[in-house]
Amino acid sequence: MGRSACILLALLSACSEGAAKDLQYIKQARSIGAEWALVNDQAHSGRVTTVYVQSMHHWLHDSLQTASSSLTQPQSEYGREISQLLAEPADAPPDQLRSHVTKLKQIEDQLESA
Amino acid sequence: MKPDGAIKLVSELLDLPLIDSNGRYCGIVDDVELKGQAGKPLRLEALLVGPGAYSGRLPRWAMSLLRMTAGDRLTRVPLGQIRTIGAAVELKVPGEKLGLRKTEDRVEGWLPKRGAL
Amino acid sequence: MNPLELTLGIMTAVGGFVDISELVFAARAGSTFGFALIWVFAFSTVGIVVFSEMSGRVAAVAKQPVFNLMRHRLGLELGLVTLVASVISNLITCAAEIGGVALMLNYLLGLSYVLMAVAMTIALIVSIWVLPFKWIERAYGLLGLFMIVFAAALFANHAPWTRIAGGLVPQVPRGLTTKEMLSFGYFCVAIVSAVMFPYEVYFYSSGGIEEEWGPKDILTNRLTSILGMGLGSLLAIAILANSAILFGPANVDPAIPGTAALEAAIPFGKWGLILALLGMFFAVAGAAVETCLANAYSIAQFFGWAWGRHKKPWEAPRFTLTWIILFLAALAIVLTGVDVMTLVEFAVLFSILVLPLTYLPLLLLSGDRKFMGRYANGAVTKWLGWFYFWIVCIAAVAALPLYFLTSGGNG
Repeated sequence: MGRSACILLALLSACSEGAAKDLQYIKQARSIGAEWALVNDQAHSGRVTTVYVQSMHHWLHDSLQTASSSLTQPQSEYGREISQLLAEPADAPPDQLRSHVTKLKQIEDQLESA
Repeated sequence: MKPDGAIKLVSELLDLPLIDSNGRYCGIVDDVELKGQAGKPLRLEALLVGPGAYSGRLPRWAMSLLRMTAGDRLTRVPLGQIRTIGAAVELKVPGEKLGLRKTEDRVEGWLPKRGAL
Repeated sequence: MNPLELTLGIMTAVGGFVDISELVFAARAGSTFGFALIWVFAFSTVGIVVFSEMSGRVAAVAKQPVFNLMRHRLGLELGLVTLVASVISNLITCAAEIGGVALMLNYLLGLSYVLMAVAMTIALIVSIWVLPFKWIERAYGLLGLFMIVFAAALFANHAPWTRIAGGLVPQVPRGLTTKEMLSFGYFCVAIVSAVMFPYEVYFYSSGGIEEEWGPKDILTNRLTSILGMGLGSLLAIAILANSAILFGPANVDPAIPGTAALEAAIPFGKWGLILALLGMFFAVAGAAVETCLANAYSIAQFFGWAWGRHKKPWEAPRFTLTWIILFLAALAIVLTGVDVMTLVEFAVLFSILVLPLTYLPLLLLSGDRKFMGRYANGAVTKWLGWFYFWIVCIAAVAALPLYFLTSGGNG
């Protein structure tokens, strides 16, 4: 029993270490999701040019891909959330994108307070 | 000339830019040539210009690197060719007469002489 | 003093103040810490005004640019170390600017980033070859005034002026965790570096020689430094404040430079966006020119070559070849695929490490009565100069640890 507890603690510790390392990428992904939502908001309101929107989609997706591939724990809850965000179409509704942002923000806040 | 006066002259001269009689930059005072004997005052004979004058002022490894990239040419500017010394050393003659500006003149041949307003 | 020339000089300095690093860090500072870092921009601007004024005065009175006299002051060995360090720092900065310009064209026209980086490098080389110095400086600087749209956006975004004014008071926000405190420290160092980039002083001083400044231009130099850079910094502060209003509450920490253009798009629509992108394009292009020429000036002046764009390119052949090679070297860095934001981080880091070596000889030279006569530093300038010198030394020591501890301000 004592040995199992130690192994579990070690695993949890390793996971939380990995999560701590991934915190900067979670923040980046959260921010990129929010930027993406903001761009799509402005696109729907006709406040930005089509060229700008396409360009921003390209660069935001590129940055999100980089953040996702830098994760040490891609199968974690936040890893899956980021993958789902990556899978969204470029012109996804802003609210849909923001739902991912909200979840990532919650995970980010939990990790920061831990 | 007092010893401390000579040292001050050297430190004031070293690394000043050289400007010829046509107002063109011709290099930097990289070293100075002094003449004298033990117990007698030192006299400034000439200014030395070029990467060849850096030896003694740079570590050996840096000199080897410099020799590979910039060569080790050395041009001697006699004291009599100097007009004034201030924020720069101003010469009495065009740089070419003293063997200065050789590289500048060579590189000038590589560039097209048109298109600039 | 010609009022028209003075006005053009000030406006050029205003339009040319913001570069890619200030753009990025102003936007991130606003979204992360609200208005709390405004005072750091103002504080750093005073620093660059002090040293720019010094460098312009040295150029006008000693009739020699900073790097000529720097080698004389520091000696060959330390002078070479300073030269190599500043060339590396300015080269990385130039690469960041070229990458930034290519990005702006991509946002505006949708054309390939790599193609635009190559095309812009060629365009910049051609523009420096063809145009005389004054036109080079004025063209990019005055067109950079499109950036005024960010100041206009601040009004349209219903800026909380009391809180913005409050941001001018030196402060550290309350309730920060240790990590957030370290991040705040990193942003302070990064902003000091971005505003006080070494290339600004080299370019300004050499520009004074290019324009044949003399003692009669001392007042012009002073006014251009104070008003040009002071007003220019207001544009950077406007970007920060807009970011605090629009991006902070939306959980946006701008990951790419193009996001900043939304600050003008949100209130003004497509025209606001286009003006913002044009302003960013010209300001960053101007910075690319300045960083490259600053490097070429430094190298040519250190070795005593003929230099200057007041001459035809073939009249200063080694100088000309040097700036062309430097542009191509910066382009090569961009073409390795390194992200522009990463280049900006490295530019800021390298620059802060070089700053003490840059400013110390300038401080000593401008205070030396043998060179400067009655135009040597007065008591106020001397005090401010030494104060800011020690600030940049502290920032230089703190930069690397803060960068690694905060993952470049990302927490």
